[in-house]
Amino acid sequence: MARPVRLTAQVFAVAVVVGLLALLVWRVVHDNNKGVSQALDAGRHPTAPSFDLKRLDGRGSIDLASLRGKKPVVLDFWASWCQPCIHESKRLEAARKRYGDRIAFIGVDTKDFSDDARRWQREHGITYPSVHDGNGNVLATWGGLPIPRIFFVARSGKVVGELIVEEDLPRYLRQIAES
Amino acid sequence: MTRLALLLVAALLVVPAAYASERHPSQAELEGEVMCPVCGTTLDQSDSPAAQQIKRVIARDIAAGKTKSQIEDRLVAEYGNAILAAPPRHGFGLLAWWLPIVGIVAAAVAVGVGAWRWSRAREPAPASVQVDPALERRLDDELRRFEA
Repeated sequence: MARPVRLTAQVFAVAVVVGLLALLVWRVVHDNNKGVSQALDAGRHPTAPSFDLKRLDGRGSIDLASLRGKKPVVLDFWASWCQPCIHESKRLEAARKRYGDRIAFIGVDTKDFSDDARRWQREHGITYPSVHDGNGNVLATWGGLPIPRIFFVARSGKVVGELIVEEDLPRYLRQIAES
Repeated sequence: MTRLALLLVAALLVVPAAYASERHPSQAELEGEVMCPVCGTTLDQSDSPAAQQIKRVIARDIAAGKTKSQIEDRLVAEYGNAILAAPPRHGFGLLAWWLPIVGIVAAAVAVGVGAWRWSRAREPAPASVQVDPALERRLDDELRRFEA
């Protein structure tokens, strides 16, 4: 093999190996800093990652970023196969009756069949709008499984907290309603 | 010729089976080819509520007479391409099917070319050595005496 050709091949091979290593490192770092939930655990309050997903009821889509500066948001990640989600979504539905004029309640139906999800909403009387996150990509940016996961976003777009214990709900609702 | 005949027979056996699988997929077959979205395994290895939900949908679709492609297309529309255990055989997914084959062929060609060049680059065998006629005569004599 001619010397320049051999040199080019060697440089290419080294570049491929270095590229793969960089990809591996990026992936490991990315995995360790998975999402909003992990940021909250670390004491940070990140800006809510935006999404623009289709509504389950077929009435267009919801762009989370469009609410920034206008209204605080409660974000509920749920699925029709998730048994504990029923209890949490019902609590949010009750809270929506009190705070619905000041806070936007948005459900994110994740890794789920939209037909089953719509049926589930009807059965349990959930009336706040939900979007469909079938592949779970939005859930992943917020922290991934397990669900339910409920986040509270201030009017500024900063994530204030995540519901961990039952008492968090009234506390965070008051906090973001006044934001 | 025999190889060609064997290939033809294999093709004749495989094509109807694939056609039947497309028209009338079985529950077990699809459960082995569809991922559970929350467990990272195929449906047949999971009993999670999310997996059970998809199994029910597949059973309903099979009972409704849907083809394998129709069922898979519906799953992909709901969950994205990651719901299939194997990448789709069209578009960008095709790359995942062809890249390993191209890699194997390229590696085989590279090894073949390398071996050929290496074998040609070896030093040629030394020319036959000229033996002194006197020494050769003496050697023949010794051999004759030894055989006697």
